[in-house]
Amino acid sequence: MRIEKCYFCSGPVYPGHGMMFVRNDCKVFRFCKSKCHKNFKKKRNPRKTRWTKAFRKAAGKELTVDNALEFEKRRNIPIKYQRELWSKTVEAMKKVEDIKRKRQARFIMNRLKKGKELEKEEAIQEVKKNIHLIRAPHAGKAKAMEEKMVQKLQEDVDMADD
Amino acid sequence: MGKSKQVGNHKGDKKKNISKTWKTKRRTKDLDQIHADMRPDQAAKLLKQNVDYDVTGCAQHYCLHCARYFVDLKTMKEHFKTKVHKKRLKQLREEPYTQEEAERAAGMGSYIPPKKVEVHTQQVEEDMD
Repeated sequence: MRIEKCYFCSGPVYPGHGMMFVRNDCKVFRFCKSKCHKNFKKKRNPRKTRWTKAFRKAAGKELTVDNALEFEKRRNIPIKYQRELWSKTVEAMKKVEDIKRKRQARFIMNRLKKGKELEKEEAIQEVKKNIHLIRAPHAGKAKAMEEKMVQKLQEDVDMADD
Repeated sequence: MGKSKQVGNHKGDKKKNISKTWKTKRRTKDLDQIHADMRPDQAAKLLKQNVDYDVTGCAQHYCLHCARYFVDLKTMKEHFKTKVHKKRLKQLREEPYTQEEAERAAGMGSYIPPKKVEVHTQQVEEDMD
């Protein structure tokens, strides 16, 4: 008995769950829930459907290439039960899962950093563009204007005197 | 949020019952099946079929990419210019999705992004008309 992966969303298909569709050319499709089956019948592309794992991987939302992802594999070789091997494997699985989770979390955090940078840049742009709303264009120039006026008046007076 | 489902302005096939078209009973060919059909030996077989009176146009005018039969060459040529056909070509330009890809996406091995495939409308023999 095996826990298969859903064709559409890549979720686990436990024995006795979901649905299996065999196409008229004998190709087998497994679905974890009716949602996945319905979407398949509507000929949706899993790579374009936002909630599937395939989309998340194809769009670079999640960690795609990593050594920690290489442990889980379909191994078609039956192994005779050995107690020691079994316990060791379970231990290893836990460790691998832990490492995988950490790496995936780190990947996502790194990905989100980019957005923060862009946000900051955008905010600076906005302030630069709309600075006139905060500071009047002639703010701080009042004194200079006054001096200019005085000078001009003086000149006029001088002209009148001549 | 999901994207809007409406693509384009034409609302053709409105009279058709969509729940019926989605039944597996009347399932049309999938993209991966069409990719298999596009291999040269298969394509040659499909494009040169024997006369079959039960099929539209006696199975003489077949669009490989849309998996559709046409009544005559003129309608098929008209079809090549349509949006449906061009859209289909665009969809076929990406490698088909497989169960292996689903498994790789689920964390069984590293994910390999799909490759691009060159797809062009089939050549039409001019001496037929």
